[in-house]
Amino acid sequence: MATAVVAYTVAAGRTVGFNPSTFWQVWSNPLWEKFWPIPWDWVLDRHNVIEPLIETFQIAIVSTILGCGLALPVALAMSPLTSPNRVVLVVTRSIMNVVRAVPDLFWAKLLVTAVGIGAFAGSWALSVFSLAVMVKLFSEAVDGADPRPLEAARAAGGRHMPVVRTGVLPTVLPEYVAYGLYVFELNIRASLVLGLVGAGGIGRVVEAQRQYFRFDRVLGVLVIVFVVVFVIEQVSVAIRKRLV
Amino acid sequence: MEAYPSGDDRPVAPRRAGRRWGLAALVVVAVVWSISGLEVTIDRLLNAPGDAWDVFRRMAPPAFSEAIDRGVPGKVLESVHIAWIGTMIGAVISLPLAFLAAGNVSPAWIRTPVRQLFNVIRAVPELILAVILIPITGLGSWAGALAIGIHSVGTLGKWATEAIEGVDPGPLEAVAATGGRWASSMRWGVLPQVLPVVTSQWLFRFEINVRASTVLGMIGAGGVGSELVSQLVFRNFAAVGAVLIMTIAVVMAIDTASAAVRQRIIRGGTQPGGPDVDDEDRNAAVLADLTGLPTGGPSSGS
Repeated sequence: MATAVVAYTVAAGRTVGFNPSTFWQVWSNPLWEKFWPIPWDWVLDRHNVIEPLIETFQIAIVSTILGCGLALPVALAMSPLTSPNRVVLVVTRSIMNVVRAVPDLFWAKLLVTAVGIGAFAGSWALSVFSLAVMVKLFSEAVDGADPRPLEAARAAGGRHMPVVRTGVLPTVLPEYVAYGLYVFELNIRASLVLGLVGAGGIGRVVEAQRQYFRFDRVLGVLVIVFVVVFVIEQVSVAIRKRLV
Repeated sequence: MEAYPSGDDRPVAPRRAGRRWGLAALVVVAVVWSISGLEVTIDRLLNAPGDAWDVFRRMAPPAFSEAIDRGVPGKVLESVHIAWIGTMIGAVISLPLAFLAAGNVSPAWIRTPVRQLFNVIRAVPELILAVILIPITGLGSWAGALAIGIHSVGTLGKWATEAIEGVDPGPLEAVAATGGRWASSMRWGVLPQVLPVVTSQWLFRFEINVRASTVLGMIGAGGVGSELVSQLVFRNFAAVGAVLIMTIAVVMAIDTASAAVRQRIIRGGTQPGGPDVDDEDRNAAVLADLTGLPTGGPSSGS
């Protein structure tokens, strides 16, 4: 067993070109100097970084609303507690499993091919991503909801939709909003990598400057993005604490 | 006779409707502003679902023989190799660091910086690391393996730290009582206790890394992603379908096999029934990785 693992590691290492000396080569590569110093006047110029960053926010807002809006009925259909019947439950579960099995950037690339390069494709891709994440998080909240109000509403003779709306929805709504904020946070992060496949937002700046070999600018953009992500995370954590 | 509960049991006053409408208006304004910036026309919006469906429709039937001729299975395997080597790099670097980060065996002055290092590493996605590394290493699978390796240090280190902090202090005291040094107490007191858990964490990370390495190819860091991109550029959708199906099949096969091995490592081979492939758990770990929200890893829960 151990020999097989070692043999595989050696074989795999050979395929990917692993060699302990490459660590030193990477470390001492003179190209690192191209990452420094960060050209701050370029980075802080409106057209270069701020406008794509605004586009990133726009993509993230639209796809959070769209993805989370769709996730509400899907998650309710996926939970044994609130699903209208067994067929709907099994079908939605299998569809969501397939959606999740495809990596998010594959989705982005497919949608870019389908609807053209730009923020429009990015919003679609991130909507799919938000849907997948939100359904996963929120359906767990629904599964864990208190079944007693639901049973009471059912015992009183309520039909399915009103029962779910009055029996389950109020108890899980704070979690829904909290997870929605969380998905928004994730979308801001994800849009950084989406641009690498042509789906708009701040990532397209990274991709363009990478192709011009302006790595100092790439680093500058990354620094700005991490600052923004950090600030949003702090705000979102503060709001989430008050909600749940 | 009181009809209503008294004192503190008074019902909560209803929320003011004005605030609710204000929030709703804010959301609507934000959405309208966002849509205005996304070059959306009614025409595009109405055509988009049709266009997307068209792409998926043209993937059937998948052109498996063409994909095999183009060496796609080899590319998928290359992705697996990248993920494996990345996991190994992450494992070898993270394990010693985890000993330095664990609260029960390491002093605070060294613990805090190592933990911060884990957090910083986890905050940078593999793709961004690959973007930075590709100019240095050149295009190819080594860039991908290194990016995955560095990123894995963050999560693997965090998980291993948690495992070390959960050990039984008895063997540690025993080594100390015989006059052993710190290194010996780590080697003989802690390592045997955490090794099964840590090994299963490595395997779990390997499963996540397989997904990551398929994506890394899209920016030229080796593996199957480049094949997907080039087939999409040629609009050869039948081949795209084949690439997608092969990738998903390999990812799922590795998930299943690795989960079975993990279960044997943690619970032993005595458990009846097939492997319990916990897909939710794996996604939760990816999420936790993205944000630092504690949604579990392999060591929490089961």
